[in-house]
Amino acid sequence: MLLRDEFSKNGDIRIGVYVCDCGTNIAGKVRVPEVVEYAGTLPHVVVAKEYKYMCSDPGQDMIRREIKEQKLNRLLVAACSPHVHEETFRNVAAQAGLNPFLFQMVNIRELVSWVTKDPDKATAKAKDMIRAAANRVLFHEELEPLKYHIKRNVVIVGGGIAGIHAALLLADSGEHVYLVERESSIGGHMAMFDKTFPTLDCAACILTPKMTMVKSHPNITIMSYSEVVEVNGFVGDFKVKVRKKPRYVDEENCVGCFECIDACVFKDARYPNEFDFGLGKRKPIYMPFPQAVPPVPVIDADTCIEFKTGKCPKECLKACGERAGIDFAQKEEIVELEVGSIIVATGFDSFDPKKMPQYGYGIYSNVYTSLEAERLFNASGPTAGELVLRDGSKPKSVGIIHCVGSRDENHNRWCSRVCCMYSMKLAHLVKERTNADVFNFYIDIRAAGKGYEEFYNRTMEEGVQYIRGKVAEVTDNAQTKDEEGKLVIRVEDTLLGMIRRIPVDMVILSVGLEPQHDALEVTKMFNISCSGGGWFMERHPKLAPVSTMSGGVFLAGACQAPKDIPDTVAQAGAAASEALALSHKGVIEVEPNTAFIDETLCSGCQVCVGLCPYSAISYDQEKKISILNQALCQGCGVCAGACPSGAAQQHLFNDSQLMAEIEGALAGVL
Amino acid sequence: MTERLNRHDARRQADFDLNFGKEVAEAPGGENLYECIQCGACSGACPMSAYMDHTPREIIGMIRSGMKEDVLRSETVWLCASCYSCTVICPRQIKITDLMYSLRQRALKDNTYPKRIPLPVMARDFYKMVHRHGRTNEGRLMTNVYLHTNPFDLIRQTPLALKLWRHGRMHLRQESVEKPSELRDLMQSVK
Repeated sequence: MLLRDEFSKNGDIRIGVYVCDCGTNIAGKVRVPEVVEYAGTLPHVVVAKEYKYMCSDPGQDMIRREIKEQKLNRLLVAACSPHVHEETFRNVAAQAGLNPFLFQMVNIRELVSWVTKDPDKATAKAKDMIRAAANRVLFHEELEPLKYHIKRNVVIVGGGIAGIHAALLLADSGEHVYLVERESSIGGHMAMFDKTFPTLDCAACILTPKMTMVKSHPNITIMSYSEVVEVNGFVGDFKVKVRKKPRYVDEENCVGCFECIDACVFKDARYPNEFDFGLGKRKPIYMPFPQAVPPVPVIDADTCIEFKTGKCPKECLKACGERAGIDFAQKEEIVELEVGSIIVATGFDSFDPKKMPQYGYGIYSNVYTSLEAERLFNASGPTAGELVLRDGSKPKSVGIIHCVGSRDENHNRWCSRVCCMYSMKLAHLVKERTNADVFNFYIDIRAAGKGYEEFYNRTMEEGVQYIRGKVAEVTDNAQTKDEEGKLVIRVEDTLLGMIRRIPVDMVILSVGLEPQHDALEVTKMFNISCSGGGWFMERHPKLAPVSTMSGGVFLAGACQAPKDIPDTVAQAGAAASEALALSHKGVIEVEPNTAFIDETLCSGCQVCVGLCPYSAISYDQEKKISILNQALCQGCGVCAGACPSGAAQQHLFNDSQLMAEIEGALAGVL
Repeated sequence: MTERLNRHDARRQADFDLNFGKEVAEAPGGENLYECIQCGACSGACPMSAYMDHTPREIIGMIRSGMKEDVLRSETVWLCASCYSCTVICPRQIKITDLMYSLRQRALKDNTYPKRIPLPVMARDFYKMVHRHGRTNEGRLMTNVYLHTNPFDLIRQTPLALKLWRHGRMHLRQESVEKPSELRDLMQSVK
């Protein structure tokens, strides 16, 4: 006997089925009148209606009216994805006095009309899905949403400009912020730049005040040289484990005098400074850049003699003396934070131009990446702001190659969005600092932004040559006398329709942006998803640009897609306000999809106890059954799936509901 | 055929055939043709582009615009040395070398190929010879090509031919596979 027949014996079930046209989104493929007519013939269905836009006010009004008039006690809406309008129709049910969990949404847009070519098949599938849902709702029960208090702390992962801006906003409004940064200083990529386009603001002049504010803000805890390693919990109540790497300098005791660095047994800096991409040198104890925050040095155990041999006179320790800042015994530490929401602002990596050997990076010494050029231009960089060739001389001509690794099916498909503008900025700086001839090689100039086109014009007026064409190769193979000793750029000037060879002293590769190398692990940790290419996916590209599919986890900055500083800051503000809105709500209603254990069926086998990933199930020695703690249950359904006697069940997805749905879906073939 | 226009004369859309682009895109080598962003990396990488009347990039642009006559009469298609530099560098993964082959076939089929260079005729005669005998004979092939393109050149080449013949480097006997009919059946089935 089918479940449905069994059920029909008890109770008077009255189902209302409402099928939405969604303009032509659904009705263009699915023959809605036919579906409605069919739905009307299903058991217990007392009303079936079509409407052009069910989510509109008149559509909602119709449903509310009919729930009352027809005394409906089950509601079924066949329309778009539950992601879009489940909430809407649950509210409609509630407003009409019907428990919202007696409603079921059927997605005949994303799952049917948008993905089915043949109208016959689409119509048939829509009917099948409505039949399945009409069977399912028979077993729906009245439920109350679960309510949770939201913790008023926020953890921000990534201390670049996005994380810094969001942290300051949240901290100013009274929330406590943990700013977790992988490197020894906050600041991110922006701290590497010299100037920012299009206004040519000095990056340090606008960033470092914010960094200092972060440091001194009572509501912000900077956790530098630290990484998030584990995230548990859910919106409003996350438990975030952070691994603090040992920097061998005590952040509490250090006063930032840097006498330790001066005292180091290495009198000259001799190890490549990662912050300068190896263009500059540092000691084993060092600050990555002068304005680093927190202003606490870090000891690199790989290069420090004490760590390598244990025989160092430890001049740094002596110099520090009573301040007791140096701590060679420091150990890795795991800190657990309890927060209400998370902002992921992990930023980007730059494309590795070694993947395009035709541009000669790593082969010819005077081929630089754009970030290396930024460090050369930066006053606190390895050359104190001078753009020089490897031999120390100033270049007389510079070629800047756009779109390196971007807009390329062989590498990254996307436009990295910032390269056109930063290439113009670099061209301007080359002109300003060296007065060299500058050639920019571009495919298309993308200068959409306030003041961007004007900046493009400005650089053209300054004499920067723009050549439209993707460079084919950079070579030192000279064909004429003037090419000797130079790097020759071979390109088709597509506007003039001719092949050109342009000798230059220096080549700057405008490398594109790509997701951080460990972005995939980050998505797993925070339970968020990726869009094409590995960028983190927003909940909705237009209407929920900083939210994710995980409640309480928000995105800011270039981890979501390449973006420039103004857009990053704007997005960081949006993420901060989302987190703030959440915490000010104080309480969040969550779907009551938790599990429950039917005491009469439980045999006490304890399979569920071991399986539950949240330790929500324990064993009652007296009753000899398993007990479930609703407050800890996350609704993952593992226990329900494993229980051999069917005692563990999950609300909204219990066995009878799922079996009835399957029976309904397969009614045509059963 | 329309008369040859100067480079900057306005072109009439009526002389263009937008279907030509679609046909080429559907033929082998035409994949991703409509995704070309006209960046010119192919032309820059091409070792032969200096000798071409249109760069490979221009050819793709012309195909998409429907400039059938101009494309098929272009020498570019016949100058391609099949080094595949363009295909390797293309950011849109267009198989430009394959595209050139596709255009050669089309030009021969439509009998619309540049008359100024012997390459199309040579390709055609080569194909005919292989199709008929399964073997090539360089001496005969070149004789045919000169007869079909510039018979006077044949006389100029005679001393060279004699020299080669004297050293046993040129044979006039046409070799053939054992069963040419089977070869023809094979060719027929893959056509």
